[in-house]
Amino acid sequence: MLERIGQSPPEELTSVRARDAAFPSPFKSVLEYAPPARGTWNIVHTGMLIPQSHQVFICADGCLRGVVLTAAEMGTIDRFSSVSIREDNVLRGDMEELIIDGTADIIGKLPYKPRAVLIYTSCIHHFMACDLPRVYRILRERFPDIEFVECYMNPIMRKSGLTPDQLMRRQLYAPLKPRPIDGRAVNIVGNDLVTDDSSELVRLIKENGFKLREITRLKTYDEYQEMAEAFLNISTFPAARAGGDALSQRLGQKHLYLPFAFDYSEVEDEYTALASVLGCACPDFGPRIAEAEDALQRARAAVGGMSIAIDYTAVSRPVQLAKFLTEHGFAVTDIFLDAVPGEDKPSFDWAREHLPELKFHPTVHPAMRVRPRGGDETFLAIGQKAAYFTGTDRFVNMVEDGGHHGCDGIVKLAELIEDAAKVPKDARSLIQMKGLGCGGGCCG
Amino acid sequence: MIQLAVYGKGGIGKSTTVSNISAALADAGVKVMQIGCDPKADSTSALLHGRKIETVIDLIQKRGRDIPLEDIAFEGYKGVICVEAGGPTPGLGCAGRAITAVLELLKEKGAYERFAPDVIIYDVLGDVVCGGFSVPMRAGYAQKVFIITSGENMAIHAGANIAVAVENFKDRGYATLGGIILNRRNVKNEDEKVAELASDIKTGVVGVLDRSDTVQDAEELFETVIEAFPDSKMAGEYRALAKSVMEKCGMEVNI
Repeated sequence: MLERIGQSPPEELTSVRARDAAFPSPFKSVLEYAPPARGTWNIVHTGMLIPQSHQVFICADGCLRGVVLTAAEMGTIDRFSSVSIREDNVLRGDMEELIIDGTADIIGKLPYKPRAVLIYTSCIHHFMACDLPRVYRILRERFPDIEFVECYMNPIMRKSGLTPDQLMRRQLYAPLKPRPIDGRAVNIVGNDLVTDDSSELVRLIKENGFKLREITRLKTYDEYQEMAEAFLNISTFPAARAGGDALSQRLGQKHLYLPFAFDYSEVEDEYTALASVLGCACPDFGPRIAEAEDALQRARAAVGGMSIAIDYTAVSRPVQLAKFLTEHGFAVTDIFLDAVPGEDKPSFDWAREHLPELKFHPTVHPAMRVRPRGGDETFLAIGQKAAYFTGTDRFVNMVEDGGHHGCDGIVKLAELIEDAAKVPKDARSLIQMKGLGCGGGCCG
Repeated sequence: MIQLAVYGKGGIGKSTTVSNISAALADAGVKVMQIGCDPKADSTSALLHGRKIETVIDLIQKRGRDIPLEDIAFEGYKGVICVEAGGPTPGLGCAGRAITAVLELLKEKGAYERFAPDVIIYDVLGDVVCGGFSVPMRAGYAQKVFIITSGENMAIHAGANIAVAVENFKDRGYATLGGIILNRRNVKNEDEKVAELASDIKTGVVGVLDRSDTVQDAEELFETVIEAFPDSKMAGEYRALAKSVMEKCGMEVNI
């Protein structure tokens, strides 16, 4: 019997209640679908953060579409090149020479000389066991004044070892060369967005006389290289943690992982740890917590009877945020995520017990393509995917924690929720733009 | 740390020979790690008294890459560290990719530092048919490649192909040819044919193994000849071969 395409999928494919959800993967891994909410950053956006760099993608033409559109859309197509792999290259076995000669050809034709060239190899190089260390050795010998950065567009490997996102954030700092360590310099590493100047994190560093560097704030390659001087790297985004650890091993810098937390005691613990490393006093969080509580109260009043839906692209700890908002009187009903982050395990356990009816939904399951969006329930969404799947125009347009941190971050988020509740947005036009906050060519 | 790879046509006796070399070296107090790079996963069988060990590829498929080294490497005869790379389902998948994945995983896990062997021997399936099969001879892996052959035409043909691969890679800092191991099948003009191969590929014959029932007798006991029949003539040939191979790798061993 023919089945009508597009009818509502069975609920069990698109939804599981907290009480029944498995940790860390509430849903089966199947063929994947990408919803048209594109604000998250990809490997092109993140790579462009290295000042005065150029990107070379080596792959089959069919694999280029997404990345070339990203480069064009963000206004950095002049910093983007590609080398096409054809079947002949596979049969002749000249895949390594293709990378070397193709990259050399591109460098020779560029109207400027990049300080760093990011080479993105693809799945086929790894299937065919190309000797990439040899490729990079030859390129470095041929162009000693250019740093070649090993990058990967290798989605086939994304569920083993480090994810492409983690690898990209690690490789972002691979060109840093060892320098004498400066005990008064600190880096924030691995974030795509500038950390708010008003955050306690930035203020604690700056107000105690430390020099703060963050790749998102730098304009030149020389400034970027100065990041190697910092005695301390701070990562706040989960996918950046592996990169922070790698820098510790390679450059001997200290590393503190201080994620954006929705829990006042955790925030205080993080800042106590940071203050101890910096050798300064920890801020008094009493007034800041009061400020956050006021902001949350205002947001709560503005939200009224709307249900709250959260997605994992807006905040790195969506379940902890659900717990926090629930404890502040919000009606959190839906979370869109494909896996529960490890950091969210305690909140996940809490939700199973205290919010058993909370619904988890996947974002990549193909059934989500035909799941009805919108309906009688009025949602306020935190995140683009949550906005898309709930069909609401009242949403917080934010990705990757939005550059927020500490109690200041909670205040900012509460203000964004309040604003979203009061002012509807043009969701369709906003969420289809790739790389929210990349600024279109601002990065180099 | 010396690393060497042994290549040769399928069925020519690579695993038997390599296991006996490992056992002879272990007898002499050398710490050896033997890595079987063959989907059949029987390279180290004689060193483990026939015990089947789980292959690294099987473990990766079941558990992802988060596997402790204890589950990958097993201690065999006199402390020889045994690893079986394994491979895909016959007729499906990519054996070359499997070898690459396993050797990358061993490096990633720090297996070489953890076990700190004096000698690593890669027992590699057949011919160098694709990039994956060349990984054991690349920079960072084997310094010397040895080819096992008999006087049979197909074995000589495979040996010549392996030598071509080594030659193709000579400017890359990969392994160089260590020599030929003649595993006699008693075919007509065997020694002459293998000597001609050695001459053609500009190398020498580093050891000769006679055809002997002792090898099969040991196999039936699930042991190496070195362990099962230490006083036999074959055991002597394996010891001489082990000594000669290690000399080619720049290591004097008192066997």
